[in-house]
Amino acid sequence: MSERRAGITRRRMLVSVPALGGLLVTGCSDTFRPPVVRSGLIGAADVLTMSTSRWLQADQPLAREYGREHIAPEFPTWGQTNPDDERYQQHVSEQFRHWALPVGGLVEQPRSFSLADIKALPVRTQITAHVCEQGWSAIAEWVGAPLSLLLEAAGGVKPEARYVVFHAVDGWYESIDMFEVVHPQTILAYGLNGEELPVGNGAPLRLRVERQCGYKNIKFIQSIEVVDSLAGIRRGTGGLSSDFGFHWFGGV
Amino acid sequence: MVESSATASTTAEPAPPRTRRWVALHGYNVRICHWINVIAGGYLLLSGIHIFLDFPELYWGHTGYQGYPAIFRLSDWGLSWDEAGELGNRMWGRNYHFTFAWVFLINGVIYAVWSAWTGHFRARLWPAREDLRASALSGELREHLRWSSPARTAATRYGTLQKLSYSFMVFVFVPLMLLTGLAQAPAFAAAWPWLLDLFGGRQTARTLHTIGTVVFVLFVVVHVLEVLLSGAVNRIRAMVTGRFRLPEEAQ
Repeated sequence: MSERRAGITRRRMLVSVPALGGLLVTGCSDTFRPPVVRSGLIGAADVLTMSTSRWLQADQPLAREYGREHIAPEFPTWGQTNPDDERYQQHVSEQFRHWALPVGGLVEQPRSFSLADIKALPVRTQITAHVCEQGWSAIAEWVGAPLSLLLEAAGGVKPEARYVVFHAVDGWYESIDMFEVVHPQTILAYGLNGEELPVGNGAPLRLRVERQCGYKNIKFIQSIEVVDSLAGIRRGTGGLSSDFGFHWFGGV
Repeated sequence: MVESSATASTTAEPAPPRTRRWVALHGYNVRICHWINVIAGGYLLLSGIHIFLDFPELYWGHTGYQGYPAIFRLSDWGLSWDEAGELGNRMWGRNYHFTFAWVFLINGVIYAVWSAWTGHFRARLWPAREDLRASALSGELREHLRWSSPARTAATRYGTLQKLSYSFMVFVFVPLMLLTGLAQAPAFAAAWPWLLDLFGGRQTARTLHTIGTVVFVLFVVVHVLEVLLSGAVNRIRAMVTGRFRLPEEAQ
């Protein structure tokens, strides 16, 4: 346990100071409350659920990591498995050589990352359980770049940054708060079970946010945007799943 | 305070004064918590069924998905995956399940603290040593097999089987449902990794949680049946107003 905590501390130090400042100052209530609190009893329960989970996770525990022997024989593909998009199909046929990920919004140096740029960042490999909100779960090995290090490579986030929004090729979008952004297991995965991330699982890049359910782990990431408010984005709830009516916080 | 008057009336058995036809049976707390439980339990059951129908298979261990060896498939029982999916709405189910889990939990904590504080658990719910003797238990079992009896219709204290089943639900069932539920939540499993070790994986927790749902339905069926067989109107009225009308024989 102490080893794990030390690891997190190191990671936290790697994260740009503004990001931490954002977490500690403006991020305080964000940590315990979804960006949009729904009305009625459901909204009250949302706040209770999120604040209780976050309070129990105050020391930023890692999600369980498993041994190789626990890796599931296959990793299911679910939801969108092959976006019907001409440019995307072009990237697939070119093995994503000309693909680029714009990282913008409240970062000090907005820029684009090629897949090679992302792979050149420090690599994190983790064998974790994907927990789908539908009920299934499967253990797999993910390889990727910690999101915090990618943001640092874009100059770090500005002090007012509160959420990171991910836009996918098929129009899906999701967002996470700084509490998850600074976590070492929050990675942009490009490898699954020793291979390049397959198209069915979100190639070339998908989010792994291990302490939240499957629907937060957005696939086919096309761009990343750091924001101080989710209000102006699409329907303003912070994600397509929460636009539909799922709880924005996917911890349960 | 209400509780103490109820206990007083039960200790006055078997011959309460002729003039007293009504006794105070259930305190405010028991009544309020009971009916909140009916609402919360109802929503938990309904929303749980919705969640299950959206993925109607059960597995054992950490891993489970469509195509992985299952220990239960609803499709083997005549309802195909697609038909079940049509019936179940997991979004509605998840929203209401977690909402009423909080209602149930807060209600339960209030009930438990109150019951421990006032001695309700010890006085009314926890079986006494003499209740647990084999002769007492077999006597009560025989009586229950007779379906309905005047003694049960007049009873102002819980029978041993009733005490055992209520104690099981309060002290074993509810904590296990809570823990198997939390073990399925990635945020709680990260905060409390022992949850995964305790049950041996998320899918095992999900399976146990589903078995618990069946136990809950059985409990409700037997509970309602018992009420119907022991003077339904009088029993339900007592759980609403707190006052129980002693049948003629008992006066």
